[in-house]
Amino acid sequence: MAGRADSELLEDLLAREQRLLSAYEAALRRDAIEASLGETLRAHEREHVRALEGTLARAGRRNPRASVPSPDLTAALGDRDTFARYAMELEDTTVARYADAAANIRNPALRRPLGSIMACGSAHVVALKDALGIFLVN
Amino acid sequence: MAPSLTRREALGGAAAALVLASCGGGDPPPATGPRPGSGAALLGSLLALERASFAAYGACLEVLRGEARAQVHAMRAQERGHAAGLERLITDLGGDPPPGRSAEEYQRTFPRLRTPADALRFTQDLEERQVRAYLEALTDLPDAELRRAAAGICGDEANHLATARVLQGLPAAEGPFVTGAL
Repeated sequence: MAGRADSELLEDLLAREQRLLSAYEAALRRDAIEASLGETLRAHEREHVRALEGTLARAGRRNPRASVPSPDLTAALGDRDTFARYAMELEDTTVARYADAAANIRNPALRRPLGSIMACGSAHVVALKDALGIFLVN
Repeated sequence: MAPSLTRREALGGAAAALVLASCGGGDPPPATGPRPGSGAALLGSLLALERASFAAYGACLEVLRGEARAQVHAMRAQERGHAAGLERLITDLGGDPPPGRSAEEYQRTFPRLRTPADALRFTQDLEERQVRAYLEALTDLPDAELRRAAAGICGDEANHLATARVLQGLPAAEGPFVTGAL
């Protein structure tokens, strides 16, 4: 991972953010998340996507193509608890990728902002845990 | 206390600033061993902050009850683990972890916490400062392994910050970028 170019790290993060955004959009459409929570999380993911796209554009890179919704997402939309657990896992995985990217990215000016998105992802996990009524501290 | 301060600024912000000034920045960096620019001094500052937070949460636990107490108790245990991890990193760099302070010395720098609401506001403010410190460390630490360790702890502190907010009835995240944007 350390040898990968910065733009590849950012593209990977963008793909993950797009997946999260798609998940919250689908959950809101299917009432698989409480509306206020879902709208907040979706709004944050939109901002993350916009920021990563802008950073990639400034580096002269094209955005990766959106992927097809996974069968796991479709299965997770059946009820709110199932979706919250699915989203928690997605957020957790994304937080870990941000931690890795913030440590390895070569441009030091990008480390702090990537860390700040990571911190937001950690907060999303707490929000989803709260929705599930489970212990909040990791 | 200036009348223009909000209650939170007066209690949390000023108090946490006092804690950090007296327990964080005031602690000496590792005295000998690590080469200049190794990151050991910065890790020493983060360690001092972790120790101060550990002590502060001890004071918070005295006024918290039930669910909030259980959550802050778990945060406190994690802060102890973070401190131990930072001590190891400093030692690995050839340094000596700074000695820290006694519980009584820390206690003198804390605000008087009268209610659970006071304790949770203080917790939130301490965690905001910890998240900010670790994000700054991501920029300044010279080695990817050290940055990875800092990022991992930062994720935990962000979890604590969000928890403190939720316990006060606030949204877990204040916005899409916790302390900085791309």
